[in-house]
Amino acid sequence: MTTSKQAPQDLAASLLAAALLLPGVQALADEPPQEGSISLRYLDYADRQSGLDRIRAHSPSISVTAPVASDWSIEGTLTADDVSGASPRYHTAISGASHMQDERKAGDVAVTRYFRRGTLTAGAAYSTEHDYVSRALSLSGTVSSEDNNTTWAFGLAGSRDRIDPVNHVVVDEHKRTLSVLAGVTRVLTPNDIGQLTLTRTNGDGYFNDPYKLFDNRPRSRRQNTVLLRWNHYIDSTGGTSRLSYRYYSDSFRIRAHTLSGEYVQPLGGGWSIVPELRLYTQSAAYFYYDPVYDGTLGPPFPPGFASADPNRLSSPDQRLSGFGAVTAGLKVVREIGKLWTVDVKVEGYEQRGNWRLFHDGSPGLAPLHARIFQVGLTRRW
Amino acid sequence: MVDEVYRFPFDAMASRCEIRLAAPDGHAAEELALAAIAEVRRIERTYSRYRADSIVSRINAAAGRYRVECDAETAQLLDYADHLYRASGGLFDITSGVLRRAWDFRQPRVPHARELAPLLALVDWTAVQRDDGAVYLPRAGMEIDFGGFGKEYAADRACALLQERGVRHGYVNLGGDMRFIGPQPDGRLWSIGIQDPRKPDGIVASIAVSHGALTTSGDYERFIDVDGRRYCHVLDPRTGMPVSHWRSVSVLAPLAVLGGSVSTIVMLKEDEGLSFLASSGLAYFAIDSTGQAHHHSISGDYAS
Repeated sequence: MTTSKQAPQDLAASLLAAALLLPGVQALADEPPQEGSISLRYLDYADRQSGLDRIRAHSPSISVTAPVASDWSIEGTLTADDVSGASPRYHTAISGASHMQDERKAGDVAVTRYFRRGTLTAGAAYSTEHDYVSRALSLSGTVSSEDNNTTWAFGLAGSRDRIDPVNHVVVDEHKRTLSVLAGVTRVLTPNDIGQLTLTRTNGDGYFNDPYKLFDNRPRSRRQNTVLLRWNHYIDSTGGTSRLSYRYYSDSFRIRAHTLSGEYVQPLGGGWSIVPELRLYTQSAAYFYYDPVYDGTLGPPFPPGFASADPNRLSSPDQRLSGFGAVTAGLKVVREIGKLWTVDVKVEGYEQRGNWRLFHDGSPGLAPLHARIFQVGLTRRW
Repeated sequence: MVDEVYRFPFDAMASRCEIRLAAPDGHAAEELALAAIAEVRRIERTYSRYRADSIVSRINAAAGRYRVECDAETAQLLDYADHLYRASGGLFDITSGVLRRAWDFRQPRVPHARELAPLLALVDWTAVQRDDGAVYLPRAGMEIDFGGFGKEYAADRACALLQERGVRHGYVNLGGDMRFIGPQPDGRLWSIGIQDPRKPDGIVASIAVSHGALTTSGDYERFIDVDGRRYCHVLDPRTGMPVSHWRSVSVLAPLAVLGGSVSTIVMLKEDEGLSFLASSGLAYFAIDSTGQAHHHSISGDYAS
């Protein structure tokens, strides 16, 4: 008997080499044994991704998973505009058993093609409400450096919306947007990962809120966003901090800054605690008017309404006003067993006109506050 | 514009099986699935111990009498079996199937040593003679079978066939041993649960997979409980007795045939299995006889 004295690692490698000699087990007959290790890298990627939430969005979005050290990884999901929610977790099959569990329902459609060092995703989205139909197409991709420490991302998305408000202020109006996104994610040290993303969106068409009086906005909007993110793992505490800064500007002359940070601290025994803080400030659109009304006509007519050009631009939409906002929250997460997670989140949000840090604002606006208390129970399947 | 995922459950190799694949329409999906299922059935038929006309039955029937010419595929499977034997220090032995004559897992009875002794004399891969594409089992009563990796081989072959026909999303699941073609059409990974070895409807872990293979060996597939002790169907070819150190070993590997071989070797290595797993470079999830889980994610290349 020729018992092998090789190290187990070599044994596994030699078994793989032997298995690859079996006829027809690999799709490409001339694939060298190294391809096996490439498959492993995919698996590695998959494995690291398994415990992380994934977020889907209608806007062009890029999800980057970067293995940073042996035990932890960060997934940054970056969207140009809007996030629709976390995708559900479920098990599609069970290894070692013979029974199956059912599939999810399909959402927006997207096809991803995987390459050795990159991905290419094409997607389409369709959403409809009784007064609104939106269609979007997107193409995005990533390319990683040879050492996988740097990932470049790009995205291109177009949408076409049809607006038919029930009050018939307008009929069959349209809005088109085209977005371009470029970004880079880099593993800076085994404990740090940084990301920079630039987005430009050109929109043309109907931007008004058809349900607001005197809402007449420009028919073109150009938006730029710069987003910087930095995730840092702290060896001494085992926690992870996530910091980000976003700068936004558009042709409505809104300028906005967002600074946000959160810190995830695992406490052991399945507990972790996540404090978070977000600071936001924006300037008003140039055609925004404060809810002060014409002295003669009274509400809801804006000052000087009678003598103004009927086509002049104006909007009382509070989201176009100048304001500042602070969000502070605390989340406590407890994993119970392997299947259940309970989280409790308390969040306070306060928005005030005079909290704007830059530019002119809308001091007359009433502060807005919200307290959000949320209990979540998640079962993994 | 996006292909839908179609599911094709079927029974083969005494297991519940399923193929999932994305295709432009149901007709195309069915055509692809039927071709893959036909390949699984071809392997089952060709290498069945239960069919008198199979190559395995003919080799076994000729034991102690004459040599049997092998086709190229059988010769390659025997080559792999030889490699497995050497890589496992003799633990993975495709001649050990004769022990089933003493172990009937339908009856709660542990065979006596005197029943096992004559069978153990027939377990000896090194005695098998192979030359010029022919194989000869020198002792009457000797048997070989490919049960140890046939299912995984079939999963790999079916998967490769689908890939060659342009399938990019889906997987082949033969009784819980799975080979993946690619992620779901929307790019999301398949989330696969690991069977709880003690609770038939429970899972103990999960993993998201898009490529490669996930295989599981366990002591819960076929077993008998006698006097409070579990005797499972994985038998040590040196003693003829069931192994007992592991309840379940799952391995993530580039090929199902590799994953299945490694998880079986780990079961056979008993308490030395963990160090074998740990240094194999493969991701694994193993549960020992006390119920404790051991797991590891892949950390680097091992096939360089």
